[in-house]
Amino acid sequence: MTTIQDTQTAGSEYQPVDGLLLEVEDLFVEFHTPDGVATAINGVSFELRQGESLAILGESGSGKSVTAQAIMGILDMPPAVIPSGHIRYCGQDLLTMPEEQRRKTRGPEISMIFQDALSSLNPVFPVGWQIAEMFRVHRGLNKSDALEKAIGLMERVSIPAARERVKAYPHQFSGGMRQRIMIAMAIALDPAVLIADEPTTALDVTVQAQIMALLQELQEERHMGLILITHDLGVVADVADRIAVMYTGRLVETAEVHELYARPAHPYTKGLLDSIPRLDQKGQTLAAIGGLPPNLLRIPPGCPFNPRCHMARDVCRTDLPPLHEVTPGRFSACHYAEEVINA
Amino acid sequence: MPEVILSAQDLVKHYPIKKGILRRTVGHVKAVDGVSFDLHQGETLGIVGESGCGKSTLGRLLMRLEEPTSGKVIFGGDDWSGASGRDLRRMRRDIQIVFQDPYTSLNPRMTVGDIVGEPFEIHSDVVPKGGRRKRVQELLDLVGLNPEHINRYPHQFSGGQRQRIGIARGIALNPKVLVCDEPVSALDVSVQAQVVNLMEKLQNELGLAYVFIAHDLSVVRHISDRVGVMYLGRMAELGEEDEVYTRPTHPYTQALLSAVPVPDPTLRGKREQIVLVGDVPSPANPPSGCRFHTRCWKAQDRCKTEEPQLEQRPDGVGAHLSACHFAEPRVIVETVDVSGVVPDERFASTDVRDTVVSDDAPADLQRMIDRSEASSGDQAYAPQDVTRLIDEQHGDHRPPTV
Repeated sequence: MTTIQDTQTAGSEYQPVDGLLLEVEDLFVEFHTPDGVATAINGVSFELRQGESLAILGESGSGKSVTAQAIMGILDMPPAVIPSGHIRYCGQDLLTMPEEQRRKTRGPEISMIFQDALSSLNPVFPVGWQIAEMFRVHRGLNKSDALEKAIGLMERVSIPAARERVKAYPHQFSGGMRQRIMIAMAIALDPAVLIADEPTTALDVTVQAQIMALLQELQEERHMGLILITHDLGVVADVADRIAVMYTGRLVETAEVHELYARPAHPYTKGLLDSIPRLDQKGQTLAAIGGLPPNLLRIPPGCPFNPRCHMARDVCRTDLPPLHEVTPGRFSACHYAEEVINA
Repeated sequence: MPEVILSAQDLVKHYPIKKGILRRTVGHVKAVDGVSFDLHQGETLGIVGESGCGKSTLGRLLMRLEEPTSGKVIFGGDDWSGASGRDLRRMRRDIQIVFQDPYTSLNPRMTVGDIVGEPFEIHSDVVPKGGRRKRVQELLDLVGLNPEHINRYPHQFSGGQRQRIGIARGIALNPKVLVCDEPVSALDVSVQAQVVNLMEKLQNELGLAYVFIAHDLSVVRHISDRVGVMYLGRMAELGEEDEVYTRPTHPYTQALLSAVPVPDPTLRGKREQIVLVGDVPSPANPPSGCRFHTRCWKAQDRCKTEEPQLEQRPDGVGAHLSACHFAEPRVIVETVDVSGVVPDERFASTDVRDTVVSDDAPADLQRMIDRSEASSGDQAYAPQDVTRLIDEQHGDHRPPTV
């Protein structure tokens, strides 16, 4: 097995302080459209440390993927605009960095895995060539050395007969194998932060289990910070250390994983947990959160969740609840968080 | 046990693979390769399996949307595999289908009233012409939608609401059987529960039997009375929900169950994980003998040559159908009986009505943002260029504001 560590350029200019890798502070992302301005991310703050797995949980439209894209710097701008906020990597603000410098962070420092591996890989180049590109572009290796590295990586992510298949094209691989190739590319330059955006949503359960096991193994081996973006409460329970729940572009709850499942502190989280059928339960009564998340152009005043909340009272319709500490280390954006947590 | 209403007997569907300029048939994709089961009145039969196992083709065969290569579908005592024309149409009245993707299975140019009322055009004797609009409104009400929205178009509804429209169309002719092909897999979790609850309510009220095809084993367990597990076009295991989930005897079922994540972090590392090696083989060239032997940890020489039959095999308590030479019960999921536990109504409700206060403007913007999240949970949203959407607004020449 090839070790990847040796390719790390000695004395990287980015050194985490106290294990703190990434700080997102009061981030806003807007989409300017003919119908008006939609605020997809509305004042989101969180941190990621070395070796930590943070899950960002939310339904479609909650802004979880936009958050990931903002961190990677791959938002389509326009229509997206980042009016304010900071994304600091090892203390340096990625948003104010010159593009050339930021480009050099993508791959060696922060990298990302996408949901749909088939459309994320280039169909006209062999997979080995695409993995090796990381070494050619960022490390200046020649073609044959880079290809050797690519084979080593393909072996590391358990692609059988890597040496023979290095010249194969993406369509010649199954969905699970393609996702392994994506992972190989993402870890190629030994990044400190790995963002996985719905990495297993398009895969079957048996393959999902393989891929999640591989991701966890790699994370432990390399002490990476992992941001897992997903809507699947089952996957999160298996992998995450900490969870951030998003709703209409805001964080509504953050907590350590056991705490969140045992005693959710926001009615939305509680409702989500009640609405999923569980494999290990029989005769379960499913309860649904009524209605839908609001249109981002017409977010209701007060708490954005109030039209769907069975607990909503007058104050919820007028005052936006801030994300506040309910018990040590637990944050919730609900006026009645204490009541929810004790329910 | 109630009487058998639909029966599949040794259903086979092979698709030819054609190659070359002469389009010669060089092989067959064996999508469904000998599947038999009975569906009883008013019950739900869940069909689970991974992609490519033939579960959707099976659903289409039951509906006669595909001609079976061989085998029979017997409905209410009549073999309808040979039926055509008027006979086929009469039979279709009793068996209807709900499709997976609520975004493509509704015609965008038709109003909801036309979509739900279309079955009455073909089966004109079900509801007389004058009463159709009223009947459509009743159906909308039944599936929890606002009957006043009868003149709206599909794009004005959300995914969950569209799936309700699909269900209303499915039940319009009072069928006895509804084939549901992945009806909730394109929906967000919080919306999934609404649709599942609605389907259960309709079953109780209308006495429908469901064939519920899905890849999500948790949803299938929740809704099904009996469950069939498919692998590469064959039924690997078939039994009562309890039998399949608490004492599975087929290694594939066991592996599948162990791979499903359970939303409970306290079980982390405590659950038995059977990790299968490799991928599902191609259905064009399925392995000899037992189709699962290439990935099975129990496989012996016998499995490579002799195909195991789906037959009653002991499961520790009784016996149920399993197709493994070495069938042996194994507890994979520790089941907790929670019947009688009522969820806290302060947070979520079991009400099946669609409670959304929908605003008049279509939620196109929401869709646009979802699309720009190229990888949001919904597979139904193909990533789309946002600027193109803006260009499509005729008469609006403002450049996108930056």
